[in-house]
Amino acid sequence: MQLSTHTTPSGFLLPSIHSAHPFFTEQPNTATQCTFDEHWTRLILSYARYRHLFILRVEDAEVAGGDWDEILRNERINRRILPNYLASLISKLVSRNLAFYEPPKQTRSVVVLWRLPEEWADVLHSWATATGQLNSILTFYEITDPPVPSPLSGIPVSLLRRAITILTRSGRAQVIGVADGEGVRLLASGK
Amino acid sequence: MSALVNQYSTVRVYFTLMHRLGGVGLAAFERQRESQRSFAELSSELSRTQIDHLHTSLTQFRSALTHFASTHRDSIRKDPTFRHAFQQMCSSIGVDPLAGPRKGGWWAEMLGLGDWQHELGVQIVDICVSTRERNGGVIELGELVRMVSKLRGVESGVITEEDVIRSIKTLQPLGAGYEVIDVGNGKKMVRNVMKELDEDQAVVLAEAQTEGGRIVEEILVTRRGWTPERAKAALENMLLRDGLCWLDAQDERHGKAYWIPSAMSWDD
Repeated sequence: MQLSTHTTPSGFLLPSIHSAHPFFTEQPNTATQCTFDEHWTRLILSYARYRHLFILRVEDAEVAGGDWDEILRNERINRRILPNYLASLISKLVSRNLAFYEPPKQTRSVVVLWRLPEEWADVLHSWATATGQLNSILTFYEITDPPVPSPLSGIPVSLLRRAITILTRSGRAQVIGVADGEGVRLLASGK
Repeated sequence: MSALVNQYSTVRVYFTLMHRLGGVGLAAFERQRESQRSFAELSSELSRTQIDHLHTSLTQFRSALTHFASTHRDSIRKDPTFRHAFQQMCSSIGVDPLAGPRKGGWWAEMLGLGDWQHELGVQIVDICVSTRERNGGVIELGELVRMVSKLRGVESGVITEEDVIRSIKTLQPLGAGYEVIDVGNGKKMVRNVMKELDEDQAVVLAEAQTEGGRIVEEILVTRRGWTPERAKAALENMLLRDGLCWLDAQDERHGKAYWIPSAMSWDD
Protein backbone atom coordinates (compact mmCIF):
# COMPACT_ATOMS: atom_id res chain seq x y z
CA MET A 1 0.00 0.00 0.00
CA GLN A 2 1.14 3.49 -0.79
CA LEU A 3 1.36 5.72 2.25
CA SER A 4 1.19 9.33 1.33
CA THR A 5 0.00 12.62 2.73
CA HIS A 6 -3.59 13.63 1.99
CA THR A 7 -5.37 16.95 1.92
CA THR A 8 -8.78 16.99 3.61
CA PRO A 9 -11.86 18.75 2.24
CA SER A 10 -11.19 21.60 4.66
CA GLY A 11 -7.69 22.00 3.21
CA PHE A 12 -5.70 20.41 6.03
CA LEU A 13 -2.68 18.32 5.07
CA LEU A 14 -2.66 14.95 6.85
CA PRO A 15 0.74 13.28 7.41
CA SER A 16 1.48 9.99 5.65
CA ILE A 17 1.27 8.02 8.90
CA HIS A 18 -2.44 8.85 8.97
CA SER A 19 -2.81 6.50 5.98
CA ALA A 20 -1.43 3.57 7.97
CA HIS A 21 -4.07 1.18 9.33
CA PRO A 22 -2.25 0.54 12.64
CA PHE A 23 -2.11 4.24 13.46
CA PHE A 24 -5.69 3.94 14.75
CA THR A 25 -4.88 1.13 17.20
CA GLU A 26 -3.25 1.69 20.57
CA GLN A 27 0.06 -0.21 20.34
CA PRO A 28 1.11 -2.77 22.95
CA ASN A 29 4.79 -2.05 22.30
CA THR A 30 5.57 1.03 24.43
CA ALA A 31 8.35 2.35 22.21
CA THR A 32 6.09 2.19 19.16
CA GLN A 33 3.24 3.82 21.09
CA CYS A 34 5.55 6.66 22.13
CA THR A 35 6.17 7.40 18.48
CA PHE A 36 2.44 7.27 17.74
CA ASP A 37 1.75 9.55 20.74
CA GLU A 38 4.09 12.15 19.26
CA HIS A 39 2.37 11.97 15.89
CA TRP A 40 -1.15 12.16 17.34
CA THR A 41 -0.22 15.06 19.63
CA ARG A 42 1.23 17.03 16.75
CA LEU A 43 -1.81 16.18 14.62
CA ILE A 44 -4.36 17.19 17.24
CA LEU A 45 -2.62 20.49 18.02
CA SER A 46 -2.05 21.50 14.42
CA TYR A 47 -5.60 20.57 13.39
CA ALA A 48 -7.01 22.56 16.30
CA ARG A 49 -4.88 25.54 15.29
CA TYR A 50 -5.92 25.20 11.66
CA ARG A 51 -9.66 24.95 12.36
CA HIS A 52 -9.55 27.21 15.43
CA LEU A 53 -11.03 24.42 17.57
CA PHE A 54 -10.78 24.54 21.37
CA ILE A 55 -12.67 21.59 22.80
CA LEU A 56 -11.86 17.92 22.29
CA ARG A 57 -14.06 15.22 23.82
CA VAL A 58 -13.96 11.43 24.03
CA GLU A 59 -17.42 11.72 22.55
CA ASP A 60 -15.81 12.90 19.30
CA ALA A 61 -14.55 9.34 18.83
CA GLU A 62 -17.88 7.82 19.77
CA VAL A 63 -20.18 9.79 17.49
CA ALA A 64 -19.55 10.82 13.93
CA GLY A 65 -20.33 14.23 12.54
CA GLY A 66 -18.23 16.29 14.96
CA ASP A 67 -15.54 18.85 14.22
CA TRP A 68 -12.66 16.40 14.55
CA ASP A 69 -13.79 13.72 12.08
CA GLU A 70 -11.16 14.66 9.54
CA ILE A 71 -8.39 13.48 11.82
CA LEU A 72 -10.13 10.96 14.08
CA ARG A 73 -11.37 8.97 11.12
CA ASN A 74 -9.92 7.84 7.82
CA GLU A 75 -12.73 6.76 5.50
CA ARG A 76 -10.30 5.74 2.77
CA ILE A 77 -8.93 2.89 4.87
CA ASN A 78 -12.06 2.40 6.98
CA ARG A 79 -10.38 3.13 10.29
CA ARG A 80 -11.22 5.36 13.22
CA ILE A 81 -9.67 6.05 16.58
CA LEU A 82 -11.61 4.24 19.31
CA PRO A 83 -12.86 6.09 22.42
CA ASN A 84 -10.43 4.35 24.81
CA TYR A 85 -7.47 5.29 22.65
CA LEU A 86 -8.63 8.90 22.39
CA ALA A 87 -9.16 9.06 26.16
CA SER A 88 -5.60 7.83 26.62
CA LEU A 89 -4.23 10.44 24.18
CA ILE A 90 -6.21 13.15 25.91
CA SER A 91 -4.76 12.25 29.30
CA LYS A 92 -1.27 12.42 27.79
CA LEU A 93 -1.97 15.89 26.42
CA VAL A 94 -3.05 16.98 29.88
CA SER A 95 0.02 15.57 31.58
CA ARG A 96 2.18 17.47 29.09
CA ASN A 97 0.25 20.68 29.83
CA LEU A 98 -0.98 20.84 26.26
CA ALA A 99 -4.60 20.64 27.39
CA PHE A 100 -6.64 20.91 30.60
CA TYR A 101 -9.80 19.16 31.72
CA GLU A 102 -12.78 21.46 31.53
CA PRO A 103 -15.05 21.32 33.45
CA PRO A 104 -12.66 20.21 36.19
CA LYS A 105 -12.99 16.84 37.95
CA GLN A 106 -13.91 14.89 34.84
CA THR A 107 -11.79 13.27 32.16
CA ARG A 108 -13.92 13.24 29.05
CA SER A 109 -13.52 16.77 27.81
CA VAL A 110 -10.51 19.07 27.45
CA VAL A 111 -9.58 22.51 26.23
CA VAL A 112 -6.74 22.07 23.77
CA LEU A 113 -3.82 24.44 24.18
CA TRP A 114 -2.64 24.94 20.62
CA ARG A 115 -1.51 28.27 22.03
CA LEU A 116 -0.18 28.41 25.57
CA PRO A 117 -2.01 30.63 28.08
CA GLU A 118 1.01 32.98 28.02
CA GLU A 119 0.63 33.38 24.28
CA TRP A 120 -3.11 33.95 24.61
CA ALA A 121 -2.36 36.67 27.16
CA ASP A 122 -0.20 38.47 24.58
CA VAL A 123 -2.82 37.99 21.85
CA LEU A 124 -5.50 39.47 24.11
CA HIS A 125 -3.40 42.45 25.03
CA SER A 126 -2.37 43.12 21.41
CA TRP A 127 -5.96 42.87 20.24
CA ALA A 128 -7.17 45.30 22.87
CA THR A 129 -4.37 47.70 21.96
CA ALA A 130 -5.00 47.44 18.22
CA THR A 131 -8.74 48.00 18.57
CA GLY A 132 -8.27 50.95 20.87
CA GLN A 133 -9.92 49.21 23.79
CA LEU A 134 -7.22 49.69 26.37
CA ASN A 135 -8.47 51.09 29.65
CA SER A 136 -12.12 50.37 28.77
CA ILE A 137 -14.02 47.79 30.72
CA LEU A 138 -14.80 44.76 28.59
CA THR A 139 -17.13 41.93 29.50
CA PHE A 140 -15.87 38.43 28.86
CA TYR A 141 -18.62 38.03 26.32
CA GLU A 142 -17.37 41.02 24.34
CA ILE A 143 -13.98 39.31 24.13
CA THR A 144 -15.15 35.81 23.24
CA ASP A 145 -17.87 36.96 20.82
CA PRO A 146 -16.82 40.29 19.34
CA PRO A 147 -18.89 41.75 16.49
CA VAL A 148 -15.78 41.75 14.32
CA PRO A 149 -14.13 38.30 14.38
CA SER A 150 -10.81 38.38 16.20
CA PRO A 151 -8.09 35.85 17.03
CA LEU A 152 -9.94 35.35 20.30
CA SER A 153 -13.33 34.55 18.81
CA GLY A 154 -14.73 31.41 20.37
CA ILE A 155 -12.11 31.17 23.09
CA PRO A 156 -13.57 29.26 26.08
CA VAL A 157 -14.04 31.39 29.16
CA SER A 158 -11.88 29.01 31.19
CA LEU A 159 -8.94 29.71 28.90
CA LEU A 160 -9.65 33.42 28.74
CA ARG A 161 -9.59 33.55 32.53
CA ARG A 162 -6.15 31.95 32.57
CA ALA A 163 -4.84 34.49 30.04
CA ILE A 164 -6.25 37.36 32.10
CA THR A 165 -4.66 35.99 35.29
CA ILE A 166 -1.29 36.08 33.55
CA LEU A 167 -1.88 39.68 32.49
CA THR A 168 -2.90 40.75 35.99
CA ARG A 169 0.38 39.36 37.33
CA SER A 170 2.30 41.79 35.14
CA GLY A 171 -0.13 44.62 35.80
CA ARG A 172 -1.54 44.60 32.30
CA ALA A 173 -5.09 43.76 33.34
CA GLN A 174 -7.55 44.33 36.16
CA VAL A 175 -10.51 42.04 36.81
CA ILE A 176 -13.70 43.98 37.35
CA GLY A 177 -17.06 42.72 38.56
CA VAL A 178 -19.76 43.86 36.17
CA ALA A 179 -23.55 43.80 36.39
CA ASP A 180 -24.20 40.28 35.12
CA GLY A 181 -20.86 38.59 34.94
CA GLU A 182 -17.19 39.24 34.79
CA GLY A 183 -15.29 41.95 33.10
CA VAL A 184 -11.75 43.08 32.62
CA ARG A 185 -9.92 46.31 32.06
CA LEU A 186 -6.78 45.95 30.02
CA LEU A 187 -4.03 48.39 30.84
CA ALA A 188 -1.27 49.79 28.71
CA SER A 189 1.74 48.46 30.56
CA GLY A 190 2.72 47.02 33.89
CA LYS A 191 3.37 49.49 36.69
CA MET B 1 59.95 -10.38 -7.93
CA SER B 2 63.21 -10.20 -6.02
CA ALA B 3 62.21 -13.28 -4.04
CA LEU B 4 62.22 -15.32 -7.24
CA VAL B 5 65.61 -13.96 -8.22
CA ASN B 6 67.02 -14.93 -4.84
CA GLN B 7 65.59 -18.39 -5.15
CA TYR B 8 67.22 -18.82 -8.52
CA SER B 9 70.59 -17.71 -7.20
CA THR B 10 70.29 -20.12 -4.31
CA VAL B 11 69.51 -22.93 -6.71
CA ARG B 12 72.59 -22.14 -8.77
CA VAL B 13 74.83 -22.13 -5.72
CA TYR B 14 73.43 -25.45 -4.56
CA PHE B 15 74.02 -26.96 -7.97
CA THR B 16 77.63 -25.82 -7.97
CA LEU B 17 78.18 -27.24 -4.49
CA MET B 18 76.70 -30.60 -5.39
CA HIS B 19 78.85 -30.74 -8.40
CA ARG B 20 81.97 -29.97 -6.37
CA LEU B 21 81.18 -32.46 -3.67
CA GLY B 22 80.55 -35.12 -6.26
CA GLY B 23 77.87 -36.93 -4.27
CA VAL B 24 78.20 -40.36 -2.56
CA GLY B 25 77.74 -43.60 -4.49
CA LEU B 26 75.61 -44.53 -7.52
CA ALA B 27 72.19 -43.72 -5.93
CA ALA B 28 73.43 -40.38 -4.94
CA PHE B 29 74.74 -39.88 -8.43
CA GLU B 30 71.32 -40.73 -9.85
CA ARG B 31 69.67 -38.35 -7.43
CA GLN B 32 72.10 -35.70 -8.35
CA ARG B 33 71.42 -36.22 -12.04
CA GLU B 34 67.70 -35.95 -11.32
CA SER B 35 68.23 -32.71 -9.42
CA GLN B 36 70.41 -31.33 -12.13
CA ARG B 37 67.68 -31.99 -14.65
CA SER B 38 65.02 -30.24 -12.51
CA PHE B 39 67.21 -27.27 -11.81
CA ALA B 40 68.13 -27.08 -15.48
CA GLU B 41 64.46 -26.97 -16.39
CA LEU B 42 63.88 -24.29 -13.80
CA SER B 43 66.74 -22.23 -15.09
CA SER B 44 65.46 -22.51 -18.65
CA GLU B 45 61.99 -21.44 -17.71
CA LEU B 46 62.96 -18.39 -15.80
CA SER B 47 65.77 -16.50 -17.27
CA ARG B 48 66.88 -13.37 -15.58
CA THR B 49 65.67 -11.30 -18.52
CA GLN B 50 62.20 -12.67 -18.25
CA ILE B 51 62.04 -11.88 -14.57
CA ASP B 52 63.17 -8.34 -15.12
CA HIS B 53 60.67 -7.95 -17.93
CA LEU B 54 57.81 -9.14 -15.74
CA HIS B 55 58.90 -6.75 -13.03
CA THR B 56 58.83 -3.80 -15.40
CA SER B 57 55.46 -4.80 -16.84
CA LEU B 58 53.88 -4.96 -13.44
CA THR B 59 55.19 -1.54 -12.50
CA GLN B 60 53.93 -0.11 -15.76
CA PHE B 61 50.58 -1.75 -15.31
CA ARG B 62 50.20 -0.37 -11.82
CA SER B 63 50.99 3.19 -12.89
CA ALA B 64 48.69 2.84 -15.91
CA LEU B 65 45.88 1.77 -13.62
CA THR B 66 46.60 4.66 -11.26
CA HIS B 67 46.61 7.10 -14.14
CA PHE B 68 43.36 5.64 -15.43
CA ALA B 69 41.83 5.94 -11.99
CA SER B 70 42.76 9.57 -11.48
CA THR B 71 41.69 10.54 -14.98
CA HIS B 72 38.33 8.93 -14.57
CA ARG B 73 37.75 9.79 -10.94
CA ASP B 74 34.86 12.07 -11.77
CA SER B 75 33.21 9.47 -13.98
CA ILE B 76 33.55 6.91 -11.25
CA ARG B 77 31.97 9.28 -8.79
CA LYS B 78 29.05 10.28 -10.96
CA ASP B 79 28.25 7.33 -13.20
CA PRO B 80 27.14 4.10 -11.56
CA THR B 81 27.57 2.04 -14.76
CA PHE B 82 31.16 3.19 -15.07
CA ARG B 83 31.71 2.56 -11.38
CA HIS B 84 30.34 -0.94 -11.76
CA ALA B 85 32.59 -1.66 -14.75
CA PHE B 86 35.60 -0.38 -12.83
CA GLN B 87 34.73 -2.60 -9.90
CA GLN B 88 34.48 -5.60 -12.24
CA MET B 89 37.86 -4.80 -13.78
CA CYS B 90 39.47 -4.63 -10.37
CA SER B 91 37.96 -7.94 -9.34
CA SER B 92 39.08 -9.65 -12.52
CA ILE B 93 42.71 -8.75 -11.94
CA GLY B 94 42.43 -9.70 -8.31
CA VAL B 95 42.43 -6.23 -6.80
CA ASP B 96 39.98 -5.77 -3.95
CA PRO B 97 39.12 -2.08 -3.91
CA LEU B 98 38.08 -2.27 -0.28
CA ALA B 99 41.34 -3.83 0.91
CA GLY B 100 44.61 -2.06 1.43
CA PRO B 101 46.70 -0.44 4.10
CA ARG B 102 44.65 2.71 4.17
CA LYS B 103 41.08 2.88 5.41
CA GLY B 104 38.67 2.68 2.50
CA GLY B 105 41.14 0.58 0.58
CA TRP B 106 41.85 1.23 -3.00
CA TRP B 107 38.91 3.54 -3.42
CA ALA B 108 40.55 5.86 -0.93
CA GLU B 109 44.16 5.38 -1.94
CA MET B 110 44.13 5.43 -5.71
CA LEU B 111 40.98 7.28 -6.51
CA GLY B 112 40.83 9.83 -3.77
CA LEU B 113 37.31 8.55 -3.31
CA GLY B 114 37.82 8.15 0.43
CA ASP B 115 35.70 11.19 1.11
CA TRP B 116 32.99 10.05 -1.26
CA GLN B 117 32.86 6.61 0.30
CA HIS B 118 32.92 8.05 3.79
CA GLU B 119 30.16 10.52 3.01
CA LEU B 120 27.95 7.77 1.63
CA GLY B 121 28.54 5.66 4.73
CA VAL B 122 27.57 8.54 7.00
CA GLN B 123 24.40 9.17 4.99
CA ILE B 124 23.40 5.52 5.18
CA VAL B 125 23.84 5.52 8.95
CA ASP B 126 21.87 8.77 9.13
CA ILE B 127 18.88 7.31 7.28
CA CYS B 128 19.01 4.04 9.22
CA VAL B 129 19.07 5.76 12.58
CA SER B 130 16.29 8.17 11.70
CA THR B 131 13.97 5.40 10.46
CA ARG B 132 14.73 3.00 13.29
CA GLU B 133 11.87 4.29 15.41
CA ARG B 134 9.45 3.56 12.62
CA ASN B 135 10.70 0.18 11.39
CA GLY B 136 12.48 -1.29 14.40
CA GLY B 137 15.92 -1.32 12.79
CA VAL B 138 15.19 -3.12 9.54
CA ILE B 139 14.82 -1.18 6.32
CA GLU B 140 14.16 -2.40 2.80
CA LEU B 141 17.19 -1.85 0.56
CA GLY B 142 15.24 -0.08 -2.17
CA GLU B 143 13.78 2.37 0.30
CA LEU B 144 17.24 3.02 1.79
CA VAL B 145 18.65 3.77 -1.66
CA ARG B 146 15.73 6.11 -2.44
CA MET B 147 16.14 8.01 0.81
CA VAL B 148 19.92 8.31 0.52
CA SER B 149 19.55 9.55 -3.04
CA LYS B 150 17.04 12.14 -1.90
CA LEU B 151 19.44 13.24 0.83
CA ARG B 152 22.31 13.57 -1.62
CA GLY B 153 20.40 15.53 -4.21
CA VAL B 154 20.64 15.38 -7.98
CA GLU B 155 24.09 16.90 -8.51
CA SER B 156 26.12 14.25 -6.80
CA GLY B 157 25.22 11.53 -9.29
CA VAL B 158 23.19 8.35 -9.08
CA ILE B 159 23.66 5.87 -6.24
CA THR B 160 22.86 2.22 -6.90
CA GLU B 161 22.00 -0.71 -4.65
CA GLU B 162 25.49 -2.04 -5.36
CA ASP B 163 27.06 1.17 -4.02
CA VAL B 164 25.01 0.94 -0.86
CA ILE B 165 25.77 -2.75 -0.35
CA ARG B 166 29.50 -2.06 -0.79
CA SER B 167 29.32 0.81 1.66
CA ILE B 168 27.51 -1.31 4.23
CA LYS B 169 30.40 -3.79 4.10
CA THR B 170 32.68 -0.99 5.31
CA LEU B 171 30.26 -0.26 8.15
CA GLN B 172 30.55 -3.73 9.63
CA PRO B 173 33.49 -2.80 11.89
CA LEU B 174 31.15 -0.34 13.61
CA GLY B 175 29.75 -3.33 15.44
CA ALA B 176 26.25 -1.94 15.21
CA GLY B 177 24.88 -4.88 13.31
CA TYR B 178 24.90 -3.39 9.80
CA GLU B 179 24.08 -6.25 7.47
CA VAL B 180 22.31 -6.89 4.20
CA ILE B 181 19.84 -9.76 4.39
CA ASP B 182 18.26 -11.53 1.44
CA VAL B 183 14.66 -12.37 2.31
CA GLY B 184 13.81 -14.02 -0.98
CA ASN B 185 11.47 -12.84 -3.78
CA GLY B 186 14.38 -10.69 -4.93
CA LYS B 187 14.03 -8.44 -1.89
CA LYS B 188 16.87 -7.38 0.38
CA MET B 189 16.64 -5.80 3.80
CA VAL B 190 19.27 -3.87 5.71
CA ARG B 191 19.48 -4.61 9.41
CA ASN B 192 21.01 -1.89 11.53
CA VAL B 193 20.46 -3.07 15.07
CA MET B 194 22.32 -5.66 17.10
CA LYS B 195 19.34 -7.99 17.33
CA GLU B 196 19.76 -10.49 14.53
CA LEU B 197 16.81 -11.44 12.39
CA ASP B 198 16.00 -15.05 12.99
CA GLU B 199 14.89 -17.19 10.06
CA ASP B 200 11.23 -17.03 10.95
CA GLN B 201 11.35 -13.26 10.98
CA ALA B 202 12.98 -13.24 7.57
CA VAL B 203 10.09 -15.34 6.27
CA VAL B 204 7.54 -12.99 7.84
CA LEU B 205 9.29 -10.06 6.18
CA ALA B 206 9.23 -11.80 2.81
CA GLU B 207 5.51 -12.58 3.05
CA ALA B 208 4.71 -9.06 4.23
CA GLN B 209 6.49 -7.67 1.17
CA THR B 210 3.98 -9.39 -1.11
CA GLU B 211 1.01 -7.91 0.78
CA GLY B 212 2.15 -4.31 0.95
CA GLY B 213 3.21 -4.75 4.57
CA ARG B 214 0.20 -6.57 6.03
CA ILE B 215 0.61 -10.03 7.53
CA VAL B 216 -1.67 -12.35 9.50
CA GLU B 217 -1.13 -15.78 11.05
CA GLU B 218 -3.29 -17.41 8.38
CA ILE B 219 -0.89 -16.40 5.59
CA LEU B 220 2.02 -18.11 7.34
CA VAL B 221 -0.04 -21.22 8.01
CA THR B 222 -1.44 -21.67 4.52
CA ARG B 223 1.51 -20.46 2.46
CA ARG B 224 4.40 -21.73 4.54
CA GLY B 225 2.85 -24.66 6.36
CA TRP B 226 3.60 -23.27 9.79
CA THR B 227 1.65 -24.32 12.85
CA PRO B 228 -0.65 -21.63 14.23
CA GLU B 229 1.48 -21.52 17.37
CA ARG B 230 4.66 -20.86 15.43
CA ALA B 231 2.99 -18.12 13.42
CA LYS B 232 1.56 -16.48 16.49
CA ALA B 233 4.87 -16.64 18.36
CA ALA B 234 6.82 -15.13 15.48
CA LEU B 235 4.39 -12.27 15.00
CA GLU B 236 3.95 -11.51 18.69
CA ASN B 237 7.73 -11.44 19.21
CA MET B 238 8.20 -9.07 16.33
CA LEU B 239 5.46 -6.88 17.75
CA LEU B 240 6.13 -6.85 21.47
CA ARG B 241 9.74 -7.82 21.90
CA ASP B 242 11.45 -6.40 18.83
CA GLY B 243 9.23 -3.51 17.77
CA LEU B 244 9.46 -4.62 14.16
CA CYS B 245 5.76 -4.45 13.39
CA TRP B 246 2.59 -2.59 14.28
CA LEU B 247 -0.82 -3.88 15.36
CA ASP B 248 -4.09 -3.18 13.57
CA ALA B 249 -7.01 -4.24 15.78
CA GLN B 250 -9.69 -3.19 13.30
CA ASP B 251 -8.80 -5.57 10.51
CA GLU B 252 -12.01 -6.44 8.63
CA ARG B 253 -11.06 -9.99 7.77
CA HIS B 254 -9.09 -11.24 10.75
CA GLY B 255 -9.79 -8.81 13.57
CA LYS B 256 -6.11 -8.54 14.29
CA ALA B 257 -3.46 -7.91 11.64
CA TYR B 258 0.22 -7.05 11.82
CA TRP B 259 1.90 -4.46 9.64
CA ILE B 260 5.61 -4.32 8.92
CA PRO B 261 6.57 -0.68 8.41
CA SER B 262 9.77 -1.59 6.59
CA ALA B 263 7.64 -3.46 4.03
CA MET B 264 5.21 -0.61 3.50
CA SER B 265 5.99 1.95 0.84
CA TRP B 266 6.24 5.40 2.35
CA ASP B 267 5.82 8.54 0.37
CA ASP B 268 7.59 10.70 2.92
